[in-house]
Amino acid sequence: MAGEATISKELIAQLIEGTIDDDNTNRLQRLPRKDQDRFLNYVAVLQSRVSWPDQILLRLGDRLYVVRNASNQRVVKCDCGHEFGDYRQNWKLGCKVRVRRTLAEMRKVYDPAPACPEPGWQEVREFFCPHCATQHAVEVVAPGYPVVFEMLPDLDKFYREYLGQPLPDEAEDWYVDRTEHLTRHWAANATG
Amino acid sequence: MAVVSERVARSAKKTSTIPTLRQMVAERDRLTQDTGHYCGISELSLRDADPIRYERFYNKLHAAVLAARESARFVAASPGSREMGECLWGITTPEGDTLAVSMGFLSHTAIFPVAIRYMADNDYDVNDGIEDGDVYAVSDGKTGGVPHPGDFYSFTSICHEGEVVGWAVGINHLMENGAPVAGSWATFSVDTFMDGLVCPPMRTGRKLRQESWWKAIWERRTRASTMNILDDKMRLAGCAMINNAAHELLAEFGAEYYKRAIREVIEESRRMIVDNMRALMVPGTYNGCAFRLVKYEGLQNVWSHANKNTLIHVRASVEPNENGLMLDTEGSSRWGYHSYNATPGGADAAVFLGMINSFAHNTKVTAGIELAVQRHYAVGSIYNPDYEFTSNANLWAQTVALNSIGFNAVSRATFSRGYLEEAFTVDGNWGAFQGAGTTADGTSYGFTNFEWLGGTGRGAWCYKDGEPLVWAAWSQIATIGDAEEFEACVPPLFYLGRKLLPGYFGYGKYRGGPGNSAVHWCVEPGKHVALTRPNGGLSCTTSVGLGMSGGYPGPGSFMISARGTNLPDLIAEGETPRDARELLAQVDSGQLTVENLEIWKTDCPELALHDHDLFVDAAGSSGGWGDPLDRNPALVIQDLNDGVAPDYDFVSRMHGVVAAQNPDGEWVLDAAATREKRAALRKARLDDSLPAAEWWQQERAKVLAKDVVPEVHEMYSQSLSFAKFDGEFRRFWQLPADFSFSKE
Repeated sequence: MAGEATISKELIAQLIEGTIDDDNTNRLQRLPRKDQDRFLNYVAVLQSRVSWPDQILLRLGDRLYVVRNASNQRVVKCDCGHEFGDYRQNWKLGCKVRVRRTLAEMRKVYDPAPACPEPGWQEVREFFCPHCATQHAVEVVAPGYPVVFEMLPDLDKFYREYLGQPLPDEAEDWYVDRTEHLTRHWAANATG
Repeated sequence: MAVVSERVARSAKKTSTIPTLRQMVAERDRLTQDTGHYCGISELSLRDADPIRYERFYNKLHAAVLAARESARFVAASPGSREMGECLWGITTPEGDTLAVSMGFLSHTAIFPVAIRYMADNDYDVNDGIEDGDVYAVSDGKTGGVPHPGDFYSFTSICHEGEVVGWAVGINHLMENGAPVAGSWATFSVDTFMDGLVCPPMRTGRKLRQESWWKAIWERRTRASTMNILDDKMRLAGCAMINNAAHELLAEFGAEYYKRAIREVIEESRRMIVDNMRALMVPGTYNGCAFRLVKYEGLQNVWSHANKNTLIHVRASVEPNENGLMLDTEGSSRWGYHSYNATPGGADAAVFLGMINSFAHNTKVTAGIELAVQRHYAVGSIYNPDYEFTSNANLWAQTVALNSIGFNAVSRATFSRGYLEEAFTVDGNWGAFQGAGTTADGTSYGFTNFEWLGGTGRGAWCYKDGEPLVWAAWSQIATIGDAEEFEACVPPLFYLGRKLLPGYFGYGKYRGGPGNSAVHWCVEPGKHVALTRPNGGLSCTTSVGLGMSGGYPGPGSFMISARGTNLPDLIAEGETPRDARELLAQVDSGQLTVENLEIWKTDCPELALHDHDLFVDAAGSSGGWGDPLDRNPALVIQDLNDGVAPDYDFVSRMHGVVAAQNPDGEWVLDAAATREKRAALRKARLDDSLPAAEWWQQERAKVLAKDVVPEVHEMYSQSLSFAKFDGEFRRFWQLPADFSFSKE
């Protein structure tokens, strides 16, 4: 049965590394039903590649994960080991931010020149890991636009209902956007 | 007279035994809502009892629509339909719910039930009745759900023993649809009265034949009547094939089986799609945004209420749930006096592009997707205007971004889930140009050139570079068409070049597929030729607001008009420009002289062209994936040597790669210097940036001072009028209760 196909960890590693060949890529893309154990194999491969012991719960970006850390907290963590804090807060607010506002600044990342966004109406924001300087995200948005929380996963639901492997620390409030806790704190500092 | 008397008789019969369309639609709604299953079908009894018979039934339905397309477009068709994927045929239930579709732009199935609901609500089947083979024209957004009037639909009824049992539908993108702005996306429309040939569902033919008067509409109300009449015949020819096939199915399987099977087909695919969503997604909330700049100020003096610039905000979130997923657009801009508004049907036609491709790949493509993807289009927004006469002539220029946001949510999910082979950056930057002219002998014509709509660069995958030209979000058939065909459609325009544009993509660890550029040369235009360009990418910004995993989103499109040139000199030298970059370089070097050079990053007013004027475009770019400093240096060198990356200084700075050219002109990597450069660039990132908390304090002060340009100010004023975005904005910036972007 196609739905019971097993994809090897070696192939998953090739996907992660970008070394997979086109034949294998096509084979994976043409599976009528995806291999259901992919996620757990994927996480196992990812876990073997990072330098820290924290359990990976979800991969958010090339070098970004939700992990359960040594303090038993669910936090966003960079490949380099830097922690961005509670995964319910937008991890971008733990980054360093560089903004390209002028045409000259945008010209360094868009080519040819007419392809640049319009200064004043738009700006380019780059979000870096404060430790290893990895560029984790780019936003091209209007000035004043709230930093976008790209993805808040419902991990309890995912592990219990989608994977059938409930997490040991399930709680009611794991799927709640807590970004405001941070901005409220910042506002208090500004006025205090 | 016989026809009239039959219709009267049928109307009388309907009141006694046959449910009206209105009753059928209401019953479909009630059963589906009450049970959560399409039309209350909780058991797939026909499939389970005899799956071979059931699949044979469906395969015949599917074969009918496939055959319709593959035959009809060779019976009669414009190049836009014959050469490219800009057409589709489908068969539906009596209520307009899709059962099967051909190849082509398949998300257009979203509008079928909208048009049928309007016909039901307005008693089309009662006065003066619907009979087998009636032909209806539909191109209105509000009553027919049509994305924009350039997409034209023919509905033909399938009746059995006096009862409507289905519809055969044919669609194609017209070459010209008769608006004040010639072409098929009337980009400067202010309201629906400027949108061209807008038809609420209206009967134009009977017994699978158009009535004689209908031809006059194409001849008198559009500028490409020959093409449009060909396409009208094409749509109807396909519908006639489907109608015949449906009657054969009714005869072979019986009406009772037919009526039950068409319900089961949709319920079966709904279940499969919901199952696919669960198999591929991670539950949670995915957010995305995009922007589209509209520069009307100074160009709309005749209609003063529209003479303003607008920054359209496209905002959407995706949240999987037990019944599929919810796509919520609340926070997007309000509707405006411009051509970029949608209707719910038009927005659906965009949203379903990615959803069908992502979740209906292994099942029957039916209306099941409409049940699995729940949508919220806030009343008063650009997706659900509370003004009945909005223009939707050029909605695709922003709704493709809405689709991209939903599609990118799926990419993020498959990436997190480990199905990396499916994860790529979705942009959907499309281009085209349109216009009208009159030849020296007085022959007038209108046209649309679809080329950069047909094939765009595909965004970077999370494991390799994106490919050029192979992808079109709106069709499975990516093809830019035949240049010779387009030259034939626009007599004075000839291609000097048609190629990939080097360096024109979003950068990242993996780069997007390069966009495209063409140079059109105007030769002996006769009395007149002029064009405009509508384009999704003509936005003065990127196609979507968020890059993927640190990559840059794909750049917007642009165009250049070069009028009053010394082109004959260049032709004599054999040095004519082949793309936008070459043209700009030749202008900079003085080789090409231009009296009037204009670079357009958003919609241009009508450009009249004369002998040796040039029109140059660039579109179809796509975004990158991952941190550019993580790019394999060997790939950077390869791009330099292949000409994909034309500017060493640019890519050296972007990717932190150091190289030099050997005596043969080939770039060779300096690995040690590259390591040093990358380290220096990483340090520069930290030196040049602010901690988010510090940045937030600075930006918040600007927000409190409303220190933004007027268009951004109005954008926020509109989006904050919707509670969801208002709450997000206030929470993010911690604004006082009395803060407002509203005008004093």
